[in-house]
Amino acid sequence: MSEKGGKGFKSSLKSKSGKDDSSTKPKKTGKVHFDHNLGKSESRFKVLQGSDDNFQGFSASKESKGGKGSNKAKKSSVSKDSQPLELKTEKELPENAKCLMDCEAFQILQGIKEQITVLSEDPTIKIPVPFDRGLEYLKYGSCYMNPQSVRQILDPLKKHGVSEGEMCVIANVCPESTDEVFAFVPSIKGRKDKINQPLEEALAKLSKIKKST
Amino acid sequence: MFFHIVLERNMQLHPRFFGRNLRENLVSKLMKDVEGTCSGRHGFVVAITGIESIGKGLIRDGTGFVTFPVKYQCVVFRPFKGEILEAVVTLVNKMGFFAEAGPVQIFVSKHLIPDDMEFQAGDMPNYTTSDGSVKIQKECEVRLKIIGTRVDATEIFCVGTIKDDFLGVINDPEAA
Repeated sequence: MSEKGGKGFKSSLKSKSGKDDSSTKPKKTGKVHFDHNLGKSESRFKVLQGSDDNFQGFSASKESKGGKGSNKAKKSSVSKDSQPLELKTEKELPENAKCLMDCEAFQILQGIKEQITVLSEDPTIKIPVPFDRGLEYLKYGSCYMNPQSVRQILDPLKKHGVSEGEMCVIANVCPESTDEVFAFVPSIKGRKDKINQPLEEALAKLSKIKKST
Repeated sequence: MFFHIVLERNMQLHPRFFGRNLRENLVSKLMKDVEGTCSGRHGFVVAITGIESIGKGLIRDGTGFVTFPVKYQCVVFRPFKGEILEAVVTLVNKMGFFAEAGPVQIFVSKHLIPDDMEFQAGDMPNYTTSDGSVKIQKECEVRLKIIGTRVDATEIFCVGTIKDDFLGVINDPEAA
């Protein structure tokens, strides 16, 4: 699992430099390649999960191995695995970054929009395009009205080791079944046995508070 | 995905803005400079939600401008690899289709569209399954997974796939 996360790590590094090789190589390659390539850096990666101090060293060692092979892996579980991990250890985002569920972000942006319309007597204040687009996306995309209730429902999953980022991913996906959750958040697949029951209960409660479209 | 983060920026202010409204001027300049911009590191800065602190100003030699280090909280939108997004299709061509999710553009190549979907040219180009049951055309909503990101000066561009489980066109009655 950690190896897969490492791969994703590497890929995210690449994207930071502006070009993502993996996007031009959609072919999937076997996991076997990954495991071989990552053998040496496994121990380093484990440290990285806790902090990003060794990030530089890690990336250097990865690059020296010939990143191409590592970037090729398109195995869905690999890239999905990396996503929740990236949220925690992505160097690009400051450590205090707080994931927002779509419904939370919608509430915040809605509040700001109301303030802006009040202040709009000042002609120099313009609503930036990404703000408008973001708000529009959230209006139709978020399927829950009340973020507090969603948090209350998903909080018990934390006891089973679900991280904040994974919770946000689950809330944003608006899953109908546990299969969907395991497909989109494969990092919790490992704990499938323990987490299946609480997850099903949480999903049942979430479906009750879903916004009707 | 949206994040709430604290960022820091050094703001330069011309002496004409000094006075009672120094703070307000600084904040409005920050908003004008930062809101709507995009960086590879943080993604799109969608909105500033608050100012955490404004440090002591430092007068720059020779110009009279003063530099203030400002810490502010903001909502950013940063797409990640492996993220699942619901996007609206904006353009369909034989190479694939383009879709938009919030401020970000996503391209899904033909190779990452299920093999049973074929491109149909015409007034309304689309991808359709052999039995005609599923159609991807402009204004359609699709659920896709980001598999790669590229950062331009002012925008983030993503590549996505709909070839995995639970991805593809979202039908209205079953909207997730």
